[in-house]
Amino acid sequence: MAGVKVVVPGDAIDAAAATVVRLGPGLVQAGGRTQATAAGVLHSDGEQWWVVTNRRRYVAAEGEPVVGVVVARHGEGYRVDIGAAHDALLPLLAFEGATKRNKPSLALGTVVYARVVVANSFMDPEIECYNSNTGKSEGYGELAGGFMFKCSLGLARRLIASRAPVLAALGAELPFEIAIGVNGRVWVCADGPEKTVLVANAIRNSEYLDAAQCKQMVRELLDR
Amino acid sequence: MARADRREGDQIRALHCVLGQLGRADGSAQFSAGDTSVLCGVLGPVDVRVYDEKLDRAHVEVRFRPDIGLPATKDKWVEAALRSTFERVILGHLHPRTLVQINVQVRQGDGSVDAAAINATTLALVDASVPLRTMVAAASCAVLPGGAVVVDPTQEEADGARSVHTFAFGAGCSSEPVYSDSRGDFAAAEYDACYDLCAATAERVAAFMRAAIEGKVTKEARVGA
Repeated sequence: MAGVKVVVPGDAIDAAAATVVRLGPGLVQAGGRTQATAAGVLHSDGEQWWVVTNRRRYVAAEGEPVVGVVVARHGEGYRVDIGAAHDALLPLLAFEGATKRNKPSLALGTVVYARVVVANSFMDPEIECYNSNTGKSEGYGELAGGFMFKCSLGLARRLIASRAPVLAALGAELPFEIAIGVNGRVWVCADGPEKTVLVANAIRNSEYLDAAQCKQMVRELLDR
Repeated sequence: MARADRREGDQIRALHCVLGQLGRADGSAQFSAGDTSVLCGVLGPVDVRVYDEKLDRAHVEVRFRPDIGLPATKDKWVEAALRSTFERVILGHLHPRTLVQINVQVRQGDGSVDAAAINATTLALVDASVPLRTMVAAASCAVLPGGAVVVDPTQEEADGARSVHTFAFGAGCSSEPVYSDSRGDFAAAEYDACYDLCAATAERVAAFMRAAIEGKVTKEARVGA
């Protein structure tokens, strides 16, 4: 593919063209020079520079939707495994319509869809299952039934940006619900376990397939 | 001077690497040079034991397993050398209170195992997207009893050699080694010859590793476009 600039750790980045430069993931400034810290594709819009990498370990960032599993309950909240280095904290009141009297009760092992609200390297991440500005759930909350599986973070990002042809190919064939976390966890629920497993398998197979191949792969899974 | 496998003195064995073959590690790589083959799996950044927790940086843990038997003293030495090398290369301050665990398994040892372990570890760390200051490439040299200097010695050559040297260099700043290990009796001139030969070889190994990573990244970028 032409025009793609691949960098590896230690590569110097020539960002001198702009006077003000914002460095995103995968870039650091060290000793007066800007260099890459991860292998990936270098992107820039003139002022902002970042490296897009495909990894498997999630590092929490503010505002990102994640799928997590409740692993413990404390007095003031739940501890949720979101696949990052530390478990995230989900306050009991961070749900739509939750009050001190009326709080949702989640069992251990419950899958939740939430948004990261606090993420920095010195604190455990914090997530919430509603939009604190509007008080509405906006699709976040407990994910009942269905099936959760893991995939690479690159695939999860493509799925959520609707750039994955597999979702279009699946959607044309059968109805299903999906919740995609950018932490590389995807929850799907279709009509019955067979269909759910089929959707999960199709998405997992699709990492390196293009639109035509996705269509054929979905067709083959359905015909089996 | 003829070597048993008909290589020239400055000729390395055929290099081969596979990235991301371990399904459950965050990053992995297998690096082979001829019959020497090392597999490395990296987990990180992950949760750290309270005992190892560092408030300002990531804790780097290395586990080195030989191809046969349990780790002995010499394996523990390689383990410590790998840890001190990569502690300086990994940008640990970006992920404080976490652990970066590096598991190195020798699949087959036929000389120059420490150099292969360093190369495999670099590739696995890059595959896991652990932030690195630079890529590290290593090479080994041996001074044979006749005084000839050969690069990438096999086990047979290393066993009969007067001295064996391994150096690792960060890409782009190859004037300063990040790892250096010399064993046996040698003169200063021999050391200098080994250093130069290792530096030149490490540059070629770095180019090979770079090509492997670029291939993987380009493949993923093509799908995502």
